[in-house]
Amino acid sequence: MSDSNVLEVKGLEVTYSTNRGDVKAVRGLDLAVRRGEILGIAGESGSGKSTLAVALLRLLKPPGKVTAGSVMFHPAGRSPVDLLKVQGEELRVLRWSALSYLPQGSMSSLNPVMRVQDQFKDVILEHAPARKETLRELIPTLLSQVGLEPRVARMYPHELSGGMKQRVLMAIAVALEPDLVIADEPTTALDVTIQRVILQSLADLRTDFGVTLMVISHDMGVHAQLADRVAVMYEGRLVEVGDVRQVFKDPRDPYTRQLIESIPRVGRRAS
Amino acid sequence: MTAEAPPVTTVEESSRTTPVTGVRAWLSRHPLAAYAIRRFGLYLVELWGALTIAFFFFRLIPGDPIRTLLQTLQQNYVYNQQASAEVIGRYRHEFGLDGNIFSQYLKHLSNLVLHGDLGPSLINYPTPAQDVILQSLPWTIGLLGISAVLAWILGVIVGAIAGWRRGKIGSAIATNLSIALAHVPFFFVALILVYVFAYSLGVLPARSAYDSNLSPGFSLDFIGSVLKYGLLPGLSIVVIGTFGWILSTRMLMVPVLGEDYLVYAEAKGLKPWRILTRYALRNCYLPQVTAFGISLGFIFNGNVLVEQLFNYPGLGTTLVTAIRQLDFNTILGVTDMAIFSVLTAVLLLDLLLPLLDPRVKYWK
Repeated sequence: MSDSNVLEVKGLEVTYSTNRGDVKAVRGLDLAVRRGEILGIAGESGSGKSTLAVALLRLLKPPGKVTAGSVMFHPAGRSPVDLLKVQGEELRVLRWSALSYLPQGSMSSLNPVMRVQDQFKDVILEHAPARKETLRELIPTLLSQVGLEPRVARMYPHELSGGMKQRVLMAIAVALEPDLVIADEPTTALDVTIQRVILQSLADLRTDFGVTLMVISHDMGVHAQLADRVAVMYEGRLVEVGDVRQVFKDPRDPYTRQLIESIPRVGRRAS
Repeated sequence: MTAEAPPVTTVEESSRTTPVTGVRAWLSRHPLAAYAIRRFGLYLVELWGALTIAFFFFRLIPGDPIRTLLQTLQQNYVYNQQASAEVIGRYRHEFGLDGNIFSQYLKHLSNLVLHGDLGPSLINYPTPAQDVILQSLPWTIGLLGISAVLAWILGVIVGAIAGWRRGKIGSAIATNLSIALAHVPFFFVALILVYVFAYSLGVLPARSAYDSNLSPGFSLDFIGSVLKYGLLPGLSIVVIGTFGWILSTRMLMVPVLGEDYLVYAEAKGLKPWRILTRYALRNCYLPQVTAFGISLGFIFNGNVLVEQLFNYPGLGTTLVTAIRQLDFNTILGVTDMAIFSVLTAVLLLDLLLPLLDPRVKYWK
């Protein structure tokens, strides 16, 4: 089964050292991500799900530190690597063409002084210089894939709405057809109607580009709508992993049940 | 302007805006041009105000330049003890000192604006003051201008790297050295440089602007000599100026490093140098551009001591000589020069900023 997995996390442990002792944000986590699936990571704030994303992307900054574990990554057409061990140039080459990142759209992840097309260009030319000739068609195609007009390419980030920024980030994330996209709260801070559209485009990206998606969200509704499988985290541990229907229908862990019950429903008022 | 054909617009646009023709319509369609025109108007007002203040301010200085001139002439040519009222009157007219202060002001302003004429200088009578200034101007621009630009470029580059690599030992050394040395006066460094290179080692000249055996011209020897003589005064300005720019650039750089778009750029797997220049520095160096424009003003007054120390024939030396002899026209001319350069530099930078940062918009 191991060749059908894109990512195999074993015993991952992430610690933040503070002056009042160490805090373990992720504790002995084991997780496998299957090729082509959409895996949802659920959990309340502080459960360690964002730390997990940052650690996998190797963007963890001090005082955060990976203290144990291994993360085997199997990019298509390349030899498998341990994401926690690769360094420098080897890591830089791996980024985006194999492992890309979809940050939260409300964050200012786009460079404010560069046109949208230049933010596509720099990453494409960095990792796939051969595509230089096709850039003129490639960028509008990518933009239309996420439902944006070609003229957006010539705009600056401050001229875009939150939803448009999120779409631009999605288009950049899949520009090089990576093996795995890690999306950290892709719909947070967007209004509900835009959330739905963004989730639909994310699902479309999987069909169009065949990428594997790891979606981190505190919103169980997102997982219900988008994910194939859900992993639930609580206090740095994985409490449950399973098929999305099974988890929602018959949650094994009491915490998962609470999470599912936290989804607001018509007719049930907060007391 | 009134007969200008309306441009092709979409139906929606033309129905929304009522058909206004002429200058107003043109301006509303070209906001950048409208801004540039407004900004230029402001520039003219600023220029007029500053020149006016400078004029009246210098008239407040006690002393009579004509008396000084006559004294000089007396000493030099054993002149008639009592100059006739007629002679004094002629000199007063020539120096623009006759009539009441407002007619003097109007005459000064019209001569300056229409003819670029400042009146005769006193330190080099009867050479016009503007010629005296133009003689020393190239030296000042050459020495101080190039030094200021060099210091800025060096400071911004080193400061950006120091901010980028904060926490590393090299950055700590550069930062602390800058804190220690940024506010050391230019002339102090100049004195040390003179002592070491000119006095102890005797390898570099410390006086004048070129070898006095050579005649000024575009010969290789002369240019080489100018560079050699300019090295010490230039170095004293560059060294200290650079430290100042390092500190301020580093200060601008550090907060930018925490921005989301830098994390994103790292996740993109871009080369570190590219992230530093296109993502980090591009987003924080704008205040440095403005500061550079303002610092140009110091070329005209801040480095008088350096020029004096090296006996450099620049504006600073001219200014000091002029002040000593109460040469109204020359002092005023140097001041006007500084006013003009700073205001023009700030105007150009203001017009340039929207090109450097797309978020800068003065117009609506």
